[in-house]
Amino acid sequence: MTRLLDVNDLRVSYGAVVAVNDVSLTIDEGEIVGLIGPNGAGKSSFIDALTGAIRNRGGNVQFEGRTLDRLAPHAVARRGLLRTFQSVELFDDLTILENLQVAAEQPTFLSMLRDLVVPSKPKGVDDIAWASSLCDLDDVLDRFPQELSHGQRKLAGVARALAKRPRLVLMDEPAAGLDTDESIAFGERLRSLPGHGVSVLLVDHDMELVLGVCDRIFVLDFGSVIGVGTPDEIRNDERVIEAYLGGHDVEA
Amino acid sequence: MSAFLLFVLLGLGAGSVYALLGLGLVLKYRSTGVIDFAHGAIAMYSAYVFVNLRSTGVLELPWIVLPHAIPLTGGQPMDLAPALIITLVYGTVLGLLLFLGVYRPLLRAAPLTKVCASVGVMLYLEATAVLNFGTTSLATSPILPSDPIRLAGIAFPSDRVYLAGIVIVVAVVLLVVYRFTKFGLATRASAENETGAALIGISPTAIAGRNWVIASLLAAGSGILITPISSLDPTSYTLFVVPALGAALIGRFQSFGWTAGAGLALGIVQSELIKLQTVFTWLPQQGLSDGAPFVIILITMTLSARRLGARGDSGTWKNPKLGRPSRPLLTSIITFAVGVVILVALQGSLRAAFMSSIITMCICLSLVLLSGFVGQVSLAQMSFVGVGAFILSHLSGDLGIPFPFSLILGALLVVPLGILIGLPALRVRGVSLAVVTLAAAAAMDALVFSNVGFSGGLGGRSVPPPSIFGINLGISDGKVYPTITFGVMLLVIVVFIGYCVARLRTSATGRMMIAVRSNERAAAYVGIRVAPLKLFAFALSAFIAGIGGGLLAYQQGTVSSSSFAVFSSLTVLAITYVAGIGRIAGAVIAGLMFASDGLFVSFLDKVLHVGQYQMIVAGIALAITAIANPNGVASELAGEKGLALRFVRLRDRIFPQKPPVAGTLRAVNLAAAARHPVTPAVVPPVKEKEVAHG
Repeated sequence: MTRLLDVNDLRVSYGAVVAVNDVSLTIDEGEIVGLIGPNGAGKSSFIDALTGAIRNRGGNVQFEGRTLDRLAPHAVARRGLLRTFQSVELFDDLTILENLQVAAEQPTFLSMLRDLVVPSKPKGVDDIAWASSLCDLDDVLDRFPQELSHGQRKLAGVARALAKRPRLVLMDEPAAGLDTDESIAFGERLRSLPGHGVSVLLVDHDMELVLGVCDRIFVLDFGSVIGVGTPDEIRNDERVIEAYLGGHDVEA
Repeated sequence: MSAFLLFVLLGLGAGSVYALLGLGLVLKYRSTGVIDFAHGAIAMYSAYVFVNLRSTGVLELPWIVLPHAIPLTGGQPMDLAPALIITLVYGTVLGLLLFLGVYRPLLRAAPLTKVCASVGVMLYLEATAVLNFGTTSLATSPILPSDPIRLAGIAFPSDRVYLAGIVIVVAVVLLVVYRFTKFGLATRASAENETGAALIGISPTAIAGRNWVIASLLAAGSGILITPISSLDPTSYTLFVVPALGAALIGRFQSFGWTAGAGLALGIVQSELIKLQTVFTWLPQQGLSDGAPFVIILITMTLSARRLGARGDSGTWKNPKLGRPSRPLLTSIITFAVGVVILVALQGSLRAAFMSSIITMCICLSLVLLSGFVGQVSLAQMSFVGVGAFILSHLSGDLGIPFPFSLILGALLVVPLGILIGLPALRVRGVSLAVVTLAAAAAMDALVFSNVGFSGGLGGRSVPPPSIFGINLGISDGKVYPTITFGVMLLVIVVFIGYCVARLRTSATGRMMIAVRSNERAAAYVGIRVAPLKLFAFALSAFIAGIGGGLLAYQQGTVSSSSFAVFSSLTVLAITYVAGIGRIAGAVIAGLMFASDGLFVSFLDKVLHVGQYQMIVAGIALAITAIANPNGVASELAGEKGLALRFVRLRDRIFPQKPPVAGTLRAVNLAAAARHPVTPAVVPPVKEKEVAHG
């Protein structure tokens, strides 16, 4: 398997507080990797730092063999590393279809000028159709985000990232706020992503989801990695249980 | 050296005024989230009331037609103390009435709606003052002792020192009150979190009202204090709000200390620049002292902007509704045809008014694109228009470039200016951006439009009429004025621009713009380069405004810089916003209904002889429309549909056809069906009807 993402000693500090303390993490092509940890463990800072929101971070990040250091968010996205948000963050004034189009299309300066006069052919149609059917949004494409249920909005956020045909998606708590059935259905969709050439870094609190779909799991606490392994290894790791899972009843 | 010191001390006079007004602006913003462009107008009106009391003892109420002059002393001048007290009470009551009538209903409205309402109040007060007091400036006897003080070998009037002292005292009192008293704490709490404050028993409305009244009292006070320093006239007093806004902006609409300091500093810099002009004669001799402070504000605000702005910049910002042009080509053709019919049907002054409406539509379209689609507020739009008009005059007059090329080239030359004024938008957002662009407009006014070589001074510059292939397209043809050919040319150009803006709205570029307007952060994370996109919008908007300027120049024949004064940009933004800034129809309504020289207002004038009351009516209409239609008139009229869609509906009812399917959606679904045989679970359930038929 080829290495997709290689994070070396990533470090984020706000003043004297170290939010991410020299974290190293790898993701291979076709993998679904979980990142778990209690609130305040540094998960969100980690995602922000990876995707260019925090520019003055320590360490280095290689994506498909090229460095992501000092790239702005839009440049990271154009390399094929997309993220979703805990708070969804859809474009409220655009329909779901248009939300996906914004991600799939990439107008150049010339096409922007041409748009003024001649109707351009819709671009990225295949990608949008793929993302929309994968997230079961075909029936709501012409609705606005606020007309959708919370679960559908979450899926739309994922679909928007997928419409850009990413190599890797960082999902920030995609299952938060979903009910059990929705969460299980979402897990199935996740599992199918590697088959489409999309790898996933999944950050979530839903232990059943993370332990169920991930190939490997990283456990973060106080900004440091305290455990790495397969779901079975994580279930039985003493330190992880102590820091996060809080007992053996998770298996039940 | 002592001469420099003298100018520093003299500058304290104007600086104190800026500081006092700035403090009031901060108070208002902190408590209600309103940037009150009418703040200077309230100071102005109070000053007139005071002056009239002092000279004739007549109390002037702020309205017209109805009895408004109450003689209190039987024609005798009133003493200082009672006049002072009456004026301060007057300002307080005026502020309270305005709060109850205009701003309280808007407390939870979008910041731009509040701005529009305050522009309405400003227009009303200024126009009322013009009618009740005239435009000749008054000079009054001093209030503060002004015996010369001798210091370090120079003599200067002592009132400047007293004024600066008053500023410092007021700033310190405000600082102490808002930091240490319960009232101040409650104000800060409700500014921070209105719901939270309400939950612990603070009434945000009552708090806001009290703050508003205190600020109005300050405005009246500063109005009185300025009268001896600057001669009193309606317009220049109202304009004091611009440097005051600059001072408040440097205080981030939060800090009393910084605002007071910045106000004083602005006054000193202006005064010192006047001195420097006499020392260094190579400095530009026109407008430097008026313009330079705004350039400084522009640069410092842009460089020092934080990522997160003040209240109203992020969370409470509500975007105006957007239109969805369904059939741009059809709508354009209908609009053009209707326009030609109106042109032919109207004659004389009403036809000329319709032409003004069309030109205003063009200018408003530039705002629909920039503020409606991309959410960037620009209060410098009329500066773009003005530069476009003067450049056209130079290109076609001096250089002799023929018609379509001169117009296009002129508008293209406005584009760099648009990008330059767009630069602050990369770091400054929301209402702060509005104030920064207003500073840019003020700087343009002082430095560019006052340049005789560029703008022809008071007389303005003439523009030769357009002609193509020997056909005269000008507005007058022999004895005919205005000509239909000129109107048709306007229609062709403006309808085409409207078509382009509509096209843009439904294109990939338009979607990116709206994405940026909705959520800049998320837009960047799906790969949109936000900064170039904003500059693209500013450039395009400046181009359209430049075309509007060219058309205006052709219509007027002679352009003079007074048409592009700072506040005209404010009015244009206000009428576009109130008409519906998210829609092409908004620009059309703004041009037809709200433009002060447009068709509807001229018609009113003809029928009802509104004449001299026109600005007053406009001001009231603006404030009321802002309160009644927070989404804009066009949205209320059209709902989610557009003109063409209604036409299509009508056609379908008469000649039934297949139901139209949105093109892109169909393409997506077809592609989905063809290329990705989807899993059964995702296939939409087959409708029973189809089964029955199959």
